Amino acid sequence: MADSALQNIPSVYEPSLFGTYSKKIGMWLFLLSDTLTFGALLYAYSYGRISTGGWPTPFHSESIINATIMTAFLLTSSLTMVLAVRASVHRDAKMQTLWLLATMLCGTGFIVLHGREWSNLIAEGLSLPMFPKVPHHQVAAEFVNVSKTVPQFAATFFGLTGMHMLHVTLGVIYLGVVALRRKFIPILLVLWLVAWLGTPAYSPFHYGAHILLIAAIVCGIILWLKPKVYDSSDVEVAGLYWHFVDLVWMFIFPLVYLMSAKIL
Amino acid sequence: MDTFQQALAEQVAEQHRHHGKALFFYVWGALLVMTAIEVYLTYQHMQPVKMLTILLGLSFIKAALIIGYFMHLKYEVSRMKWLTMCSVVACLILMTIFFFPDARRILELGVK
Amino acid sequence: MATHDFAAQASHAHEAPQGFIRKWVFSLDHKVIGLQYYFLALAAVFVGMFLSLLMRIHLIWPGAALPILGEIKPETYLTLVTMHGTIMVFFVLTTAPQGGFGNYFLPIQIGAPDMAFPVLNMLSFWTTLLGFIVMIAAFFVAGGAPLHGWTGYAPLSALQSAGPGEGLGADLWIISIAIFCIGALMGALNFITTTLDMRAKGMTMMRMPLTVWAWFVTAILGLLAFGVLLSAGILLLMDRNLGTSFFVPLGTINGQLTGHKGGSPLLWQHLFWFFGHPEVYIAILPAMGMCSQLLSVFSRKPIFGYKAMVYAILAIGFLGFMVWGHHMFMSGMSPYTAFAFSVMTMAIGVPSAIKTFNWLGTLMRGKIRFSSPMLFAIGFVSLFVSGGISGPFLAQPVLDIPLHDTYFVPGHFHLIMGVASIFGIFAATYYWFPKMFGRMMNESMARWHFWFSLIGTYAIFMPMHYLGMAGMPRRYSQMTEVAYLHDLIPLQKFITYAAFITIAGQLIFLVNLFWSMFKGPKASDNPWEATTLEWITTTPPPHDNFGGHTPVVHNGPYEYSVPGAPRDYVMQNDPEIKPAH
Repeated sequence: MADSALQNIPSVYEPSLFGTYSKKIGMWLFLLSDTLTFGALLYAYSYGRISTGGWPTPFHSESIINATIMTAFLLTSSLTMVLAVRASVHRDAKMQTLWLLATMLCGTGFIVLHGREWSNLIAEGLSLPMFPKVPHHQVAAEFVNVSKTVPQFAATFFGLTGMHMLHVTLGVIYLGVVALRRKFIPILLVLWLVAWLGTPAYSPFHYGAHILLIAAIVCGIILWLKPKVYDSSDVEVAGLYWHFVDLVWMFIFPLVYLMSAKIL
Repeated sequence: MDTFQQALAEQVAEQHRHHGKALFFYVWGALLVMTAIEVYLTYQHMQPVKMLTILLGLSFIKAALIIGYFMHLKYEVSRMKWLTMCSVVACLILMTIFFFPDARRILELGVK
Repeated sequence: MATHDFAAQASHAHEAPQGFIRKWVFSLDHKVIGLQYYFLALAAVFVGMFLSLLMRIHLIWPGAALPILGEIKPETYLTLVTMHGTIMVFFVLTTAPQGGFGNYFLPIQIGAPDMAFPVLNMLSFWTTLLGFIVMIAAFFVAGGAPLHGWTGYAPLSALQSAGPGEGLGADLWIISIAIFCIGALMGALNFITTTLDMRAKGMTMMRMPLTVWAWFVTAILGLLAFGVLLSAGILLLMDRNLGTSFFVPLGTINGQLTGHKGGSPLLWQHLFWFFGHPEVYIAILPAMGMCSQLLSVFSRKPIFGYKAMVYAILAIGFLGFMVWGHHMFMSGMSPYTAFAFSVMTMAIGVPSAIKTFNWLGTLMRGKIRFSSPMLFAIGFVSLFVSGGISGPFLAQPVLDIPLHDTYFVPGHFHLIMGVASIFGIFAATYYWFPKMFGRMMNESMARWHFWFSLIGTYAIFMPMHYLGMAGMPRRYSQMTEVAYLHDLIPLQKFITYAAFITIAGQLIFLVNLFWSMFKGPKASDNPWEATTLEWITTTPPPHDNFGGHTPVVHNGPYEYSVPGAPRDYVMQNDPEIKPAH
């Protein structure tokens, strides 16, 4: 049914083979490639886990509860994203912006919760060799032991979730540009200052915050070169990216968290 | 964007307008329920491999729901569905077939 | 021109830019971007060639003091190997046929005014250029460029202390590759979207020229392969700078523990070659497409078995993802998977042979015009066969294990992947130069260039097979001190002299290129009497390719010597001569 309905537009071109506009095909293709990027990371994780005897399962129930809440945040953000697309095709600009903001809020909640989780784990001793030590903090012998005996554990954990967190962050910024356009740049700069000055110097996020600054500059250039009102197709394409980020978490959550949960 | 692209985008938007709102809430609910099941299963003292199989199975169902409904692939033309999904899945299957025997082999040989 | 019918075209995406910077530097026009890619590759190929020259000099005069550079130390030799391979594979073989010619001619050949995403196209070039600059910068940092080979095998590449170039130089190398991945991804998704969405009316998939098919499939390979390399690069950077051990097992350097443990170098090889083998096809497929195109044009015959050619391209692309393990027979990989990889590698010979026989079938009983593009196309077939023959040998683990670390393998892959692809680039340059610059290239200089290149190539790489079978190991910087290799030194000397002459022959090309660009005789719109859409437009093409119109296509791409037609060729947009295949 869908196959025939989309093909009857008069044009100088042959009908699109994928029956949809180019931007969407472009985003889909990018996501295919990104799937393999994340796929390769997950395979590196699985490979390490298979080839390492005695893989630790150190995550306490607090971690699991925290991660479950993060999952709920992401799933809910996907729902609000769909509703934003829905508002946009019905040309309801106000609801479109509101739903996009709700999506960003859920995404930010995810980042904040995840960031707190990272900071706690690093403080307790589940850390990479080159991460700065957290001063004046009692480390947990269990996590220190994990880092020492199975270095792959911390490496894959920080590698996978870090890459995912980067994608979520970029997704929130992407949605912010679509939702608020030029007004988003000052917000982004404020967020950068908050994240930079609000984190202690030994935290990875202290340096990671500069991604926001770089993003603000890049978005500023894009908006300056091509100021436009984003229509329903732009919202839909942004939505594709956002759902993909959610989708990836659906694999990271069980593989990294649930399979490493401490069962008493 | 030229007029042809605009017309296509408008057609896609028109297609979107026919989707009911309720469906998305059902999908969202199903995803949340499956997440809850996953967390519940985690604490059920299962064989790790059995648990991994169930968790991954659920993850694939969740992924299919997200791709199909949220990412709208269910309503795209069949050519797009098959080509995009098959290419990626084929690559992932290839990696699965060829990566893991080596990961295990090193362990079984006792070389660490 | 006047006989061609045009359909009215919708408003064009962007107007012709005025001013030098908008027109030639930050251009959105796919033709300018194609030229930018081409000249980037040209610069890179001379850097790469210079490095290979240094390698050859060092091999036969190990202690010689060179002007400015001084004596080449053994570790510098490894640096030369690494950077020669990396620059050639990434910035020449991937950049010129796909980024250069693909960008310039894919939209024109399908009748589109531009790529689907012009801004992304521009960004992809600037990203690639940035990658090249970062790569070259690795020469000039403390410790110099890395020495881990273009494959970046861990743990050598994963440890800062593994060698003199493994400090900042190796970091820059990985960053450059990651940047290149991102640029290649942007290019690939642009190519695919353009082919799917912007074919002119009548340009069905089965009427696309084989060049377009080749670029299209290459883009798909790039899209799926570069993502994996990107994540492998990220993990390698983490190993180097965050102290993780994805690729580093427990071990020591100079008696000191590295501080890493539990990783697997095999994982790096798997991830790398999952990208690396499709990359081989990314380099060769566009050259195959160009060769098919040219053989048909200059034999004045339809390509032999168009559909078989298309399916063979698709089959090669598909099988190309299943054979990466044949690079790893030496690695301690499971012998069962080695067997599977071996079988599939030999299976890939089938579509390759289909292509080869179709090329020969195209030549058979053709009214062949031996113009310079045709010479290079025939040269391509010759090199493809000569290099391809040794493929089935290396595909078998029993033969690969003794041959893998010898000169046999450089002989094999330089013929089939390196020089064959370069011949494709040369053929395409001579063929499309009139369209790109509006002037003809000098034919006699082109012929001299061809014979220098063809004979020189064979003189360099054929003896390498014998060196390999005689047991000369590759990557050794010095063989003059090894007794059992003494008898082979004359052959090595011969290769070096042949390399001197061949490289000198390339200067003919360089002179011809720049001289013809400004002084060559003016070219007509269709100097080769070819049928595809780039030849219906003016020379050089206007900003939107067809002057405000979009052509309507009625014929297949290879309608030569059609009985009953007024000329011996029928343009793709001429009135229909027979129903579409």
